[in-house]
Amino acid sequence: MALRTWASSTANAFRISHASKSHPFPAFCLSRCFSTVLDGLKYASSHEWVKHEGAVATIGITDHAQDHLGEVVFVELPEAGGSISQGGSFGAVESVKATSDVNSPISGEIVEVNTKLTESPGLINSKPYEDGWMIKVKPSNTSELEAMMGPKEYTKFCEEEDASH
Amino acid sequence: MVDRFCIIEPKRRVFLECVVLQEMRVSRSLEVWKMGTINYLDALRLQEQLVSNRKAHKIPDTLLSLQHPPTYTLGKRRTDHNLLIPESDLKKMGAELHYTQRGGDITFHGPHQAILYPIISLRDIGLGARNYVEKLELTMIELASLYGVKACAGQAGETGVWVGERKIGAIGVRISFGITSHGLAFNIDPDLNYFKHIVPCGIANKEVTSLRKETDLVLPAEEVVHEQLISCFARQFGYSNLLWKENGLIS
Repeated sequence: MALRTWASSTANAFRISHASKSHPFPAFCLSRCFSTVLDGLKYASSHEWVKHEGAVATIGITDHAQDHLGEVVFVELPEAGGSISQGGSFGAVESVKATSDVNSPISGEIVEVNTKLTESPGLINSKPYEDGWMIKVKPSNTSELEAMMGPKEYTKFCEEEDASH
Repeated sequence: MVDRFCIIEPKRRVFLECVVLQEMRVSRSLEVWKMGTINYLDALRLQEQLVSNRKAHKIPDTLLSLQHPPTYTLGKRRTDHNLLIPESDLKKMGAELHYTQRGGDITFHGPHQAILYPIISLRDIGLGARNYVEKLELTMIELASLYGVKACAGQAGETGVWVGERKIGAIGVRISFGITSHGLAFNIDPDLNYFKHIVPCGIANKEVTSLRKETDLVLPAEEVVHEQLISCFARQFGYSNLLWKENGLIS
C-alpha cells in the first residue's frame, strides 16, 4: 500500500508540471495544484469563480472544474435581466454526454451573459478565467462574496478533494 | 492510505502516535432498486425525487435497474433533426418521445435493453463528469467481456461503448448539485429496427448492435444479465455493500 501511495503521488507530481505547461499563465497565478488558480478572484466549493469589479461580478467555472468535465460541447445560459440566488442553478454545460448544472455562488441580477459561448463552448476549457466567463451579475449581498474562498484556500481545497479519493 | 491514531500512556500521559498503513478501501453502500419495465416519465419523476432526497442526505447512493417500453428520448440540446420520421409515426408504432435534460443526443430505449440510472453523489466519491462517464463505459465494457465480446469506449466526441464500429451501449447523464441521474443503456437483445428511425446518438453511418448479435455464447435469462450489469457497476465504483430493493421492500 505504501508503494501505491508513493506511485500515485509521483503521478500527481507529473500532472502538476503538465498542467502548468499547458496553461501558461502570468506570474501572479498560483499553480501548486493540478489546475490553475488565479489571484484576485473568489472561489466556491462547487468550483465557480467570481471576479468582483465595482458594481459587477463576473462568474465562471474554474480550471479544475473544466478539467474534470472534459470537452464542453454545449452551454446553456439564462437571459440577461433575470435574477439568481446564492446556490441556485443559472445554466448548464454539456460534456461527454453529461449535462452539469452550474450554480451561482452569489445572489443578484444578471446584467450580461456571454453569448460567445453559444458558438464556442470550448472557451470554457481553453480560457476558463477569461473568454470562458459565463454571466455578469450585480450582487445584491456583498457579504456572500466575502464569505467565499480566496485563491490559497481554494488551491488547498482542490488538493484535499483530489487527494482524498 | 495512512491511518494515524493516538494511545494515551496512562502513567506518563504521553501521546504515542501510531502510523498504520491501511488498505485504500472505503466501505460504501449502494441501494439497488430492481424495477422491471417502467414507463419513461414514471422513471423520470422517481429520479427527480431521489436526486432531491440524495442531495438532502436522506438516502444513500441509489441505483435503478430497469427497462422501458419503446421510447425515444432527446437530450438538452434538443437535436430533433436526428429523428427521421414524424412524431405521429412514432405514436402509431406504439413508441413515446420525450425531451429531457440529460446530456447526449437522440436515442431509443425498449424491451431487452438493460438500463441503469445511478443516483449518486459524485462529490462524495470524488469524481468529475469525465471520470464518471468513463466508469459507466467501463461498466458496460466489463459486462460485454463476460460474454467474450471485446467492447471499447468511443473516440473523442463519441461517448458510449462500441464493438468495432457498432454501438452496443449508450450514455446520457445529468448532474445537478453533484448528484447524477439518467445513466446508461446496454443492448442485450432489443429490436434494432427501432434504431432505423433515428440517427442514433447523432452519429451517422454507424450501426447499432446488441450482445445477442456479438456473442457466440447462449445468453442466460435477462434478469441474470441485469444483475451482472449491476455487479459490474458496483465493482467499477467501489461499492462493497449492496442493499437490494424489490417491489418496495429492502431484502
